[in-house]
Amino acid sequence: MFRIRVTDAMLLRDMITAISTLLDEATFDISTGGIKLRAMDPSRVAMVDFEWPKKIFDEYVCSETMKLCLNISELLKLLKRARREESVELSLEEKTNRLQITIKGKYLRTFNMPTLEPIEEEVPIPKVTFNAKAEITTEGLRQAIEDVSLVSDHVRIEIDDEKITMRATGDLMGATIELKKGDVAFLGVETKEVSIANFSLSYLVEIIKAAAATSEIATMEISTDMPIRLDFKQQQEGKLSFYLAPRIDVE
Amino acid sequence: MAGETAFLELARLFEALEETTKRNEKKALISSFLKRLGEEEIQPAVSFLTGRVFPEADPRILEVGERTIWEIMKDNKQTLLIKKKITILEAMECFNEISKMKGKGSRRKKQNLTESLLNQATSLEKKYFIRLLLGEMRIGVVEGVTLGAIADTSSIELSLVIRANMLLGNLGKVAKIALKRGIEDLKNVNLTLFQPIKPMLAEMSYDLEEVFSKHEGQTGFEYKYDGARVQIHLKKDKVKIFSRSLKDVTMSIPEIVELVKKQINAEDALLEGEVVAYGTDNKPLPFQYLMRRFRRIHQIEVMIREVPLKLYLFDVLYLNEELLIDKPYNDRRRLLSTICKPDLLVERLVTANISEAKDFFEKALKHGHEGLMAKALNSDYTPGKRGKKWFKIKPVETLDLVITAADWGYGRRRGWLSNYHLAARDEEKGEYLNLGKTFKGLTDNEFFEITNHLQKIKTKENRYTVYVEPKIVVEVAFNEIQKSRNYKAGFALRFARINRIRYDKHPENADTITRIRELYEKQFKFKAKLENTSLKKDEMKDK
Repeated sequence: MFRIRVTDAMLLRDMITAISTLLDEATFDISTGGIKLRAMDPSRVAMVDFEWPKKIFDEYVCSETMKLCLNISELLKLLKRARREESVELSLEEKTNRLQITIKGKYLRTFNMPTLEPIEEEVPIPKVTFNAKAEITTEGLRQAIEDVSLVSDHVRIEIDDEKITMRATGDLMGATIELKKGDVAFLGVETKEVSIANFSLSYLVEIIKAAAATSEIATMEISTDMPIRLDFKQQQEGKLSFYLAPRIDVE
Repeated sequence: MAGETAFLELARLFEALEETTKRNEKKALISSFLKRLGEEEIQPAVSFLTGRVFPEADPRILEVGERTIWEIMKDNKQTLLIKKKITILEAMECFNEISKMKGKGSRRKKQNLTESLLNQATSLEKKYFIRLLLGEMRIGVVEGVTLGAIADTSSIELSLVIRANMLLGNLGKVAKIALKRGIEDLKNVNLTLFQPIKPMLAEMSYDLEEVFSKHEGQTGFEYKYDGARVQIHLKKDKVKIFSRSLKDVTMSIPEIVELVKKQINAEDALLEGEVVAYGTDNKPLPFQYLMRRFRRIHQIEVMIREVPLKLYLFDVLYLNEELLIDKPYNDRRRLLSTICKPDLLVERLVTANISEAKDFFEKALKHGHEGLMAKALNSDYTPGKRGKKWFKIKPVETLDLVITAADWGYGRRRGWLSNYHLAARDEEKGEYLNLGKTFKGLTDNEFFEITNHLQKIKTKENRYTVYVEPKIVVEVAFNEIQKSRNYKAGFALRFARINRIRYDKHPENADTITRIRELYEKQFKFKAKLENTSLKKDEMKDK
């Protein structure tokens, strides 16, 4: 048996939106303790690592461990119908193996959708030793990324002892964004060594935009020419992290 | 292990195949590779081998072009979080995914998927992925070698393998049946109505004597129309029409669909015929207008009025649940005449008399058609391999043209100047005006030789193209001269291919624009010109 409920529909909707930036289909691990998802996008460039313990939900009923695979884009379409003050309940209809989505607000709406064959593959966390770490406001990060995306489709991120620098060079224009001590958006850095890596903005923009709706504070970890880890702090011990592989200059 | 074969092993086979020019060695290499594959791997592997991502009769396309690949390969490259060995099946799966992406944002998604495939690949794999994506495999494996290898590996007679391939239009599937299910299943392969089959091909001949001697004195001549060959599948009220390249063109030619529904007196059938566009003066229109109609899906009513089409049937391959391909041509033709009126049939003459044949040929040309087909009366319908059973007879034209520029090649022709801009001389202004490009006709050695030569006479260049002094003359064969706004000359050559490099010829002796104009007008001696129609307006819009 599986049933969850949140009183604010936006909470669930924003989370599913964040996942949908990488995945069309997602296999959730559901246990008595909560819901987890770790999966790579089809091109194996990015990964989402997500955990919501049961206490985030207003109601959480799960009788046994199970895998639940859903079409994320279809689910999102339904969740988008819910308004801020409305509550959403998801439950698994065991006989038909369909997911029931109940939206309660001014009136009652019930949708249902099929569940899919779960993907059994276990995805390991990329093994990276991060040499630089920065904490910033999610809003600040979002603004910075939108700035650089005006001029190019990739960005060079550098973290040193004092600041984060994002640099983009396009065919015609260039941009440099600095976040450093004293800036409102800047919350701190820790570095073992200066680290620099390049990333595709087509991934970063979407990930950060969607994650910003769920989180106030972001942690960014990098090492030179290694994947980036972006962690978006969630309420109540929830977790939403993304990994993105770097772009590397061709020799 | 089944399903686990790495794409890298296939790439190594491609390398080995490219190394040898000997047909038997190629066959042996393919054969020993096929034996190691699991059932599900055979189909994609064989498809890739012949340079196709999807089978011939499969309408799916990738829509990943040179530009996309160039975008991926330029400046820096996207790495992956976790790398793993790509299997043949995974490569196929990736191509399937790419082909599924449609509509808004699909170009980026296609590019991302392609990029991740290329980034996971070793440099050897990458080389062949790019060739596959661009449809330029060029490892010297034509369908014939693969068919032979399938026959060898399965110890099944080659003709049976060929026959199955024609009926299915899917070489990979043929291989799978032959290798894993055996001869009985292969024999039982039948055509499926509404799935296109591979058409039988004809050999070129310029000599009626040859035709008569190969056909034992008597042959069936048919007009070869300057139209588009179509196969028509019908069952009760349902009709589907496929082009020669097995594309579904039903939507573009509704009047032919209606005609077939009304005029063909059969429960079900697979017919072959030629669709020809006519001008208002009842003469056939040049091929380019017909092709535009084939691609057109809007404003079809206007098109039907302005560019009327005629259908000429010449064969029936399936009739009232019976497969007819093993029956003689003459019998099939007789059956065809029992299910439709004579005005739907191609003009035909059965004769043993060469002067009658010559008159018939002249008559065909005079009516604006391309030439004649000559079909052995007892010939069955054998596909793919060009045999002596059918000949096409056409007058040839060649022009001596000057190379003014050349584009750098992709894939196998990378590093070579391989696509040549062809120009004719404007005798008044002393300029050379372009009227086409071609990469067809040269051997590898000639590519190499001409690349060196062109670089020596380079005047300017950009990333794609090297412009040269107009010095090298080539003899170019072509099928038709078309009006064109794309080229300075105002004309374009259809199906241009280089016959030979004319080092003996000076550019001042190359053919002139005046000569091109004459040849173009000559085409119209027997052909209609198109005036003031929406197709004509299309032409004006085409830049």
